[in-house]
Amino acid sequence: MGEVLVITSGKGGVGKTTSTANIGTGLAMLGKQVVMVDTDIGLRNLDVVLGLENRIVYDIVDVVRGNCRLKQALIKDKRFENMFLLPAAQTKDKTSVTEEHMKALAEQLKAEFDYVIIDCPAGIEHGFKNAIAGADHAIVVTTPEVSAVRDADRIIGLLEASGLESPKLIINRIRTKMVQAGDMMAVDDMMEILAVDLLGIVPDDDTIVISTNRGEPAVTDEDSKAGQAYRNITRRIIGEEVPLMSLEEKQGFLDKLKTLFGSK
Amino acid sequence: MTEAIIKADEAGENTILVQKSLRSGQTVEFPGNVVILGDVNPGAEIIAGGHIVVMGALRGVVHAGALGDETATITAFQLEPTQLRIATHITRSPDGTDAPDIIHPEIAMIRNGVVVIEKYVVPK
Repeated sequence: MGEVLVITSGKGGVGKTTSTANIGTGLAMLGKQVVMVDTDIGLRNLDVVLGLENRIVYDIVDVVRGNCRLKQALIKDKRFENMFLLPAAQTKDKTSVTEEHMKALAEQLKAEFDYVIIDCPAGIEHGFKNAIAGADHAIVVTTPEVSAVRDADRIIGLLEASGLESPKLIINRIRTKMVQAGDMMAVDDMMEILAVDLLGIVPDDDTIVISTNRGEPAVTDEDSKAGQAYRNITRRIIGEEVPLMSLEEKQGFLDKLKTLFGSK
Repeated sequence: MTEAIIKADEAGENTILVQKSLRSGQTVEFPGNVVILGDVNPGAEIIAGGHIVVMGALRGVVHAGALGDETATITAFQLEPTQLRIATHITRSPDGTDAPDIIHPEIAMIRNGVVVIEKYVVPK
């Protein structure tokens, strides 16, 4: 029997879909049977981030309406045999999916996969309630911005009210230099407000933008710092103890000289 | 959409004890006094007919003496509210300043018609 994880944030644009793609791929790299479910009906993009857009025939709305069998809608990943995607519908009516549908779907997928990862839409309305309906655990993604932390706090409250106790937190897009200069919220400041367990910290990394546009999750890139952060996160999800990686940036020769002469 | 944890019409006791932190979007409304064992995060709201005591960091919106009681007070371990109201008086933290690192409990009350905030001293 597998585990259903929902990845949510409240605010849009903080990295839910990127996190879903990287965690799902990371778990598949560890040999787990993984299925990712895109519940952002009308604004689907998990398929794009995974580079599977051109393979979609059926989607989640077809499955709940009975237009096709669940197996027919699952798209096998092009890199990993043990990883699948259930895409969201792009043009169909989003009210056709209900919380009961999602619970039934989660049960069905849980029986066949080790991990079912649900990519939640932004907001706290219908789509959010659907996405969390069948979940066993929740992962909340936030960025070091006051607005994102506020929304994460709101979401944690709503998750707790729905019985999803003790969600885990991913802090995305940390820029170490800005934190050190006091221009960005520090991890400790965010943890003081949100008061939940920290699953991982992902640095703001150019390689994420490149890999997302190419449809190849950064987690597969050995040289990517963000990829390393996601590899650590997936190992924590399967229960390994992995220390938080250091985000200190290596100083170049010129930087050292500047420090020496006390200029910044 | 707010989740009122306790609504005003569920009165009966004079003081209510809330044994959790209030997150953004969560509210407590009560005609008597309210004591919170936890933090009140930004975006959370407490409306009380009487006094408010927060055994933690108060960063949300609070309204004490909401039914008109000017003797109501607001006390917190860390008093950094978004907005603080007592009866018909409204105050907010000054713009553009970070919350100072004050580590002692503070109390807000109305004195001579204005809201004053001072270090909480145990009444002898």
